[in-house]
Order: sequence, then C-alpha cells, then structure tokens
Amino acid sequence: MSFFGFDTTLPRDHSHSARAPGFGQPADPFASLSGGAADDEIIDFEDTYDGLGDQLDDADDALNDDTFGGGPATQQTVGKDFDFAGQTSKIANTLQEEQMLFEARNLRKPPPVQASKPARTGYESYHDPDYIPQLEARADIWGLQPKQVPQQKQPEPQAPSAPAKKMMSLDEVEAMMRAQTASQTTAAPPVQPAPAQIPPSVPMRHQQQIQHHGAQDQFAPQILQAPHQQQPSFSQQQAHAELPAHPVQIQPPRQPAAMQRQRQTPDNAGQQPRYAAPLPSAQRPPSQPRQILQNPNRLSGQGLPVMPPPTGPRGALPVHSRGPSFPSMAITPDQLMQMPEEQRLAYLEEEARRAKRNHKIALLSKDNGLMTPQDKNFITRIQLQQLMAATGGLEEARSEAALAEDFYYHVFSQIRGAHRQTPQQPANQFAQTYLFQTNSRFGAGRRHGRGGDNHMQRMEQQVQRAVEAAKAKPKNKQLVIEGSLGKISFSNSKTPRPLLNIKRAETGDKHPKPHKSSIADRKEVLRNIEDVYRALMEIDDHERALPPPINEESSPEAIQNHMEWRTKFQALHDKLWEATKIMEPINLQSPTPHPFIAMLSHAKGKKLISRLFRHIDDQERVTVITMIVVHLDHLPVVNQAIATPEEPLSPAIREQVELFVHAVIPPYFTHIQTSPLNIVIGLLEIILQRTNLHLVARSKVGMEMLTILLSRAEILKQSAPEMDVTEWEKWTELYNRLFDTVEPVLPVLFPGTVNDTDDKYIWQFLAAIGVGASPEQQQRLVLGVKDRVMDTVTVSRALPPDMSAARLFNVNLFMRAIGLDVELLG
Amino acid sequence: MLFFSFFKTLVNHEITVELKNEICIRGTLKSVDQFLNIKLDNAETTDGARWPHLCSTRDMFIRGSVVRYVHLPAGMVDIDLLEDATRKEAAAAKEKAK
Repeated sequence: MSFFGFDTTLPRDHSHSARAPGFGQPADPFASLSGGAADDEIIDFEDTYDGLGDQLDDADDALNDDTFGGGPATQQTVGKDFDFAGQTSKIANTLQEEQMLFEARNLRKPPPVQASKPARTGYESYHDPDYIPQLEARADIWGLQPKQVPQQKQPEPQAPSAPAKKMMSLDEVEAMMRAQTASQTTAAPPVQPAPAQIPPSVPMRHQQQIQHHGAQDQFAPQILQAPHQQQPSFSQQQAHAELPAHPVQIQPPRQPAAMQRQRQTPDNAGQQPRYAAPLPSAQRPPSQPRQILQNPNRLSGQGLPVMPPPTGPRGALPVHSRGPSFPSMAITPDQLMQMPEEQRLAYLEEEARRAKRNHKIALLSKDNGLMTPQDKNFITRIQLQQLMAATGGLEEARSEAALAEDFYYHVFSQIRGAHRQTPQQPANQFAQTYLFQTNSRFGAGRRHGRGGDNHMQRMEQQVQRAVEAAKAKPKNKQLVIEGSLGKISFSNSKTPRPLLNIKRAETGDKHPKPHKSSIADRKEVLRNIEDVYRALMEIDDHERALPPPINEESSPEAIQNHMEWRTKFQALHDKLWEATKIMEPINLQSPTPHPFIAMLSHAKGKKLISRLFRHIDDQERVTVITMIVVHLDHLPVVNQAIATPEEPLSPAIREQVELFVHAVIPPYFTHIQTSPLNIVIGLLEIILQRTNLHLVARSKVGMEMLTILLSRAEILKQSAPEMDVTEWEKWTELYNRLFDTVEPVLPVLFPGTVNDTDDKYIWQFLAAIGVGASPEQQQRLVLGVKDRVMDTVTVSRALPPDMSAARLFNVNLFMRAIGLDVELLG
Repeated sequence: MLFFSFFKTLVNHEITVELKNEICIRGTLKSVDQFLNIKLDNAETTDGARWPHLCSTRDMFIRGSVVRYVHLPAGMVDIDLLEDATRKEAAAAKEKAK
C-alpha cells in the first residue's frame, strides 16, 4: 500500500479536504493554514471508523524510518518543499484515463435531456384536488438540462466564492504554505499534506459532483471518514443550503432546472437523518449521488428505480432490496479493481442492467412532456365521450335515431336474444308487438305493470308470460271440454236416423258472393290497412316514450309530462280507431263489403287484429268482435272455405284460414274467455239471426268461433248457474235454435274423408255442443255423427298406435262430452 | 338502411351468396356494412369442381356490388317485423322527400 501515490488511494480515503471544495466556498480548505478554522464538530470515532486501519500491514513497519526518516514527524522535520502540482502533472495521463473511463461509463447512461424527463409525469399536481393547472406550457419541459451540464459545471463550484473570497491558485497555496513554514511556530496544527492540494482533477471532480448533488445524504459518512479534517459544521450546512443555487449563479439561463432542484431539496432534507444513520461502513459508497448527478431532476420523480427509496408512498425500490447490492455507481475504478472477482462481476452486471433500464426509460420517456396536462385532459374528455357513445351511455338520445334508421335490426335482436347488448332498450313493447303477433299469441301478457324501471325484468316477465300463455291456452281449451265431461252421464240409446237430407240445398250457395272487387277497391282496402298500421306504429312509438309512472310525490313536471303523454295517447288511439273504419254503417246488402271486413280478406289485415286489440279498450273489442261476427258468413275464410271430401280447399284458401285461425281467433278467444254471459248470448244471437249458420258451421273458422262461445257459456253455467234465470232461459232458447239449425248438417260437418286427420276442431265443436245438450238432443247428436265416429274408430285401429291414440282421443273429446267413451264401442 | 339493418341480423348465420359471375359461396356471415359488402367465414363454394380456384379460400370479403342474390335461412326472417320496418322506412323516405 502506497502512502504516497494519489491514484492508489480510494477517494474516500482521501481526507475530507479533497472534497471540501465541493461544499462550497465557505469551507475554505486552506483555512487551517491561516489558522482560522474553528473545530466545533463533535464526531464519534466508533461510528465512523472504517476499519481500514486493520488492513494495514504492520510487517514492514520497520521500514517506516527509511521511508519517513527517523523520529516522529513534526512540522519542522517534514519538508515543505513539495511540489504537488508538479507531481500531479506527472500522472496526468493516468488522470486523463480516469476521466475518460468515468465519462465512458456515463455515456452508457441515458442522454441527459431524456433522462431528466421521467422525473416529472406532469400529474403530481393533480393529487391536490384544488389544483388548477397552469395555463401556459412549462418552460422546463423543453429546457431540461442535459446530463453533461452538471458535470461541466463541476469543476467550477469554487467559482461563486471567487468574487467573495479570492480563490487561491494551487501555486499560490503552495507558495503560501512554504512561506508559512518559514514563519511558523511549533504550535501550529499538523497539516494534512496531500488532499488539500489535489488539483481539480478527475477524482476530485467525482467527489465534488457527489457532494454537490448528494450532500444531504452523505454528510455524515463523509465527514466521519475524514474526522481530522474538522470541517466546521456551519460551513457544511451553508454549503448544503447554497447548493441548489449554484447553477443559477453559474449559468443564469439554466433557471428552470435550478428551480426543480430547489424543489427537491426539502424532500431530501427530510430524509437526511434516516440515511445518515444506517450507512453501515465505508464499504458503502455514496450511492444516490451519482444517479442524481446523471439525472439531476429525478429526485422529484416518482419511484424511479435508481432513486433512493423515499419515504411514504413511494415505497422501497427493488434495486436495493435484492442480491449483492451495489447501491451506487459511485464506485470508482479503483474500488472496482479492489473488489473480489465475483463481486466485481456482479457489480458490472448490475451496472449494465441499470444502464439498460435507464436507456429503456429514456426511450419511453423520449416524448414526455410534449403535451400539457390541458391537452391530456382534452383528449381524455373526447375519449370518454366516444366511449359513452360506443357503449350506449347516451342511450336516450341515440335510441330513437337508431331505431328509425335501424328498426329491423334493433327490434329483431331484442326479440331474438341479442337484447343483452342494449338492456336499456324498451324491448318489452317490441316483444309484445312482434312476439305475440308472430307466434299468434295474445294472452295475459298484455296487461302487465308498466311501473318497473328495469327493462330487463319487464322483458323477461314478458317472455315468461308469453310462454305461460302458450302453455295455458291449449290447456284451457282442454279444461273447457274436460271440465264438462264429468257433468254429463247419459246413456245412449238408438233412435231412428233422421232421413231428412237438406244438404243438397246448400251446395248451391257455395260461392254466394263472388266478391267482385275491382282493383280500385282492392287498392283502397290496402291503403286502409296501411293507415291502420301507421296508426299502430305511432302508438307503439308513443308507448315507448311513456314517462315514468307518477305518484303523489311526483314533481309537477312529471305529472305534466304524464298528462301530455296521455293526451297524445288518446289522440293517437282515436286516430287508430278511426283508421279501422269499423264505425262505418253496416250494409249487408251492399255489393262492396264493409271496409273493416274487407281488410280481413287480406293477410296483413288479419294480422292487424291482434295488434289492434292491444290498444283498444274492452268496449271497442266487443265492437270489433261483433263486427266480425255479423259478417261471419261474408268472410272469405268462411264462405269460401267450405270443403267437401270431393273438393278440398285450395292451398291458398287453406292458408288464409290458417292465418285467420292464428291471427284473429286468439284475440277473440281471449276476449270471450273473460266476457259475461250477456255478451256470449248477444254474439250467438247475432250469428243465428244474421248469418247463414249452415255456412258458418261448416267452415273451420265459424266452427271454432261457435265452439268458443258454447264452451264459455258452459263454463259460466257451471261456475255460476244461479246467476240470472232470465239470461239462462234466453241462452237455452238460443242453444236450442242453434242445435236445430246445425243438426241437419251434422253428417257433412266433416270436410274430408275419414283419413283426414285434421278434424280435431270438429270434435271439439261437437263436444261443446254436446255438453250443453239435453238428453234428447244428445241422442240426435250421436245419430248425426255416428257413422263418422264408427268409421274413425275403425280406421284408427289400422293406424300405428300413436296416431291411432291421437285420433281416438279426438273422438273421445266428443264421446265423453255426452257421457260415452270410445272404449264402449270396442 | 333497411337491407343493412336486415343483414345485420344475419351475422353469425350461414348464408349463401350468389355473385353476378355465377359463383355461389356458402359461409358464415361475419359482418356486413352499409354497402352490403359481405365478410364470410368458413366460406366454400357450393360446387367445388366448378370453381376450384376458390377451394382454399376460407375467409372472404365480397364487395356488395358483385352480389346478385343472398339466400337466407327462412327461420331467421321475421316477416311481420320486416313489414313494419319497411313501413317505417317508407315513411321516413316520404318524410325526407317533403
């Protein structure tokens, strides 16, 4: 270990005086020369002893005398004729190399302009809720100082002091020392030879930088490593305080950076005690300073990896918590060389990783600060708006326009399951309108509470009701018939078959009304239908705009809205009612059919009925039904739909009939199901009086309508037979008339041969008429259809079991109604 | 917009597109735009022997203007709704003409 070579000593082994200049001018390294330094620093040796003394090799102590000369070195014995400047110049090459090495290493660090940026994300201020952003762009986002700048500044820390206190050149100092020696008294304190005289060469610059930026953290160790330096504490503090100001003094244009650094100061000052204490030994070189040096602004950054773990929310940093930590890059090449091999490798690796990371950060942060926070706010707002629009946040405003443009898609996707995308849509109305219509269902679903705000719920309820209605419908019909089965117990007996056969008479009026409609009529009817549809859609649209339900606490505007809505609704409803033209006078003799009935001759006119029923009240429904019933035998589906085994229905007519059965009968059925007896009586009376019952009874449509009326009356009779005697008398009378009229056509009720399986509705009709029949009437009934019953049973025996069962079941509908069973025919 | 609206409901359903050059392609409709350009997945020609050059093509983008017919799955068309949508479209067109 050389005691003389500068370049073999660790920087920290230099006495503090080597660093002193970095503390600023007040710490005059040569103060001791003039004897002016006060030593008021109390330093605990144990805390700071770096243990280097233990490493000294005592073996060669004997040579000390040769080296130093005999006897204790005194101020007098030590020669003052040194020439440090000259000696230093001899190793200038080495120093140069050192400097190159240092800079080369620094080159791997991110370029300074970039490096300084991540320190400020631009959002720190937004943690403060009251923060109002600056309105002008910050100058410092453009003017962050390059990394090189601090380094270039480093040689000049003394500069500021120069004006205040003339800085001596090295030569002057040496000259002064020599002069002092000459005049010195023996009481003069021992002079620390080398460090103070170190010229502002590379190693010194390191330390200056370190102190310059990291002084706060490093005070204690540095001071303690050089206790003999006895630097006055006041000067340290002063230096510390003045540090931030340096750049300003040196380079006034660099003000923004200086401001930033000033901001860091309190932050770091707060950490000073914390960092001073735990520094374990001299093994730990000043770590942060170099980082700070390279990225002077980083201190105010948030959690950058190279930062010292700050207090509070920033948390500990991974770098410091893992592995062989080389917390700093401030290890000089000398130290590096002294390290064990693996440590050095680890160090270099760490170094490389750090450099890589810094580079990455620099790349990422290349364009940091390009936008002001205001710009970012603006863009964020736009993005949010778009997001809202995309996800349907502005549903209300959007839905109407979208509906108009994209009606089919919207409604379709709501009805068929895609509704989850837009749960806000008023899907229930669509489902009501189109699901029921499509599936020919029209049931309990139409009266549903409109109160709920949850469209999804309403939608689901709607579908559920639809399903229930679908299930309930055939069951109800079944019940009607089956419920009456137990009532009747009557034994059949043979009575002579009636020989009267009047069916020939009817074949003549198979096409009683050729329906000579001109093209103009047809167009007119179609136009009427379209009018009704338009009115319907207007009502639908209006219903979708239903304001929220009102109650006592509702605000006046809400009530007002509701009133307006109701008014409009009423107006639309009136318009709809008018469009149906149902109130036009009935003239059965006129060659052109009633406009409303004419609509029913078109497919879309038939579909109209169920939708129409949704929007009209009970009274109006009765009107519609009455209108249909009055014209029953004028309907093409009745008067053109009478088939015989020889002449089955044409496919077109059959289709029309099916459509009528699916579109018109269900609403009719639903309404009749809730009608009181007087309405049933009235309808039956109309049928009997004003229509050709033979026609009606032989058509599927007419038969189904009669079945519904009869079964309803039967249910009423069983549920409340004591209701009104006069009404029941009236009913019985009508029933008898009906029976008498129908009886002659019983044998020809069946439109097809025995093999025609579509005869269920006929058996239903027979059952309905049989349930209410007197014993005598039942006999006549059986006589009328006995052949058919026997034939069907015979045919079904040859059929596969399931088909056979189905046919026998149909027959049994009737047989049980009159207290029989096909089993008895066995 | 009616057809656009209508075709949108067929997304993810299998359709057959007949082009004006007689090529007939069946595939799953992935998307459609306002020009009725059609994007098909799992597309294949209905007659591989006739158009062998399309054998290996699975995803197709078909320009709307070259389509002659689109065969639809009947179950996917809600006629009543389509009627109403047509009425709305007609009403809107009439409104615009005024």
